[in-house]
Amino acid sequence: MLGSLLAAPIVETWLFYLFATMAVVLAVGVLVDRVVIRSGFILIGVFGSIAALFLLLSAQFLALAQVMIYAVAITLVIVIALMLTNPRMEDDTIVEKAERMAGPAQFFLSVKQGFPLWVSVIIFSTIYVALTGEKRWPVSTEPVAQDVVKVLGEQLTTTYAIPFEFASVLLLAALMGAIMLAKNEKKEVEPTSSEDQKAEENLALSR
Amino acid sequence: MNAPNQLVLKREKEGSARLAVFFVALSAALVGTYAGIGVDKVLTHHYDFWFCVILGGLGWAFRSVGGNKPVIVAATLLSCFIMLTFYQAPLLRYLILAALLFAMGVYGMCRQRNAVRVLMSIELMLNAVNINLIAFSKYVDPGQLKGQLFAIFILTVAAAEAAVGLAIVLSLYRNTSTVDMDRFNLLKW
Repeated sequence: MLGSLLAAPIVETWLFYLFATMAVVLAVGVLVDRVVIRSGFILIGVFGSIAALFLLLSAQFLALAQVMIYAVAITLVIVIALMLTNPRMEDDTIVEKAERMAGPAQFFLSVKQGFPLWVSVIIFSTIYVALTGEKRWPVSTEPVAQDVVKVLGEQLTTTYAIPFEFASVLLLAALMGAIMLAKNEKKEVEPTSSEDQKAEENLALSR
Repeated sequence: MNAPNQLVLKREKEGSARLAVFFVALSAALVGTYAGIGVDKVLTHHYDFWFCVILGGLGWAFRSVGGNKPVIVAATLLSCFIMLTFYQAPLLRYLILAALLFAMGVYGMCRQRNAVRVLMSIELMLNAVNINLIAFSKYVDPGQLKGQLFAIFILTVAAAEAAVGLAIVLSLYRNTSTVDMDRFNLLKW
């Protein structure tokens, strides 16, 4: 019954706009929040609403995998990394003086300082024009397979067996690489600065 | 003239040269992007773009009057998004949402200085790609669900990328005691 209710186009439209609103607003929160750890926690909300969008697209397995891997595991790793590093930024960036330049140069300078904004606007408008330009996708009207997990499992073990094995090798290599990179090596040189001494003290405390 | 003034003067000269190079590159990229589509076609066939420009100007006006910046940005983005997608097919709605999230991820990746926030923006971009793939798998290929398979592989790669990237950030922090992207110049030649 719930499935037939969800399949109605108007309900799906409203649910899509609800979750899309949540995703966009929380993504803005991730980007502009000044407290880094808070934006790390808002990221959980973004991933959760994207998982709800996956449910709307009748990808139940991927919605749960999204919640498990993104909203829990990756966000947990990110938050732990935020706690281990000190996000204090030095405020000595080179601010080019605008008032000494001529008029056109000032205009160009302001455009240059908003460079990431222009890049993302151009990317979005290009993708939008390319998407809505022609009707190039043959939209199929047949219903989605009922047993999604069965279809996925069969294809993963037959057609896509080799990429599956490569993915496991990649995960193993990434695990080993992460351990190698994050391992605290014993330093050869004498600690000179206070940061080094603090690191040494932390190391001694943990032993 | 003392040393800091000379430094400022030198930076100004370098700044003008860099500005010129930057604008040549930007206009080349713009021309190259829209030459295939046709600028006149874009401007005359997409009235929704003009409404988006108007909405952006409205948001800028509210911002300059004074107001909560995240709220204004979110409201402007949302109204543009709803207006661009309301009369589209369901597949295009998901694709445009993914494009919006991807563009926001690109913005964060270029803008943020904290290395961990850059990684967060990259995760946002990967999620946008996942939305694309799953929307295609529902609307174009419902029998085989190949898009969901590719999304599974992307999930794997994203987990590996997050683990290795954050390990690199931790290692860099241990060596340089900063996570500022502007200060990482170990590989500079």
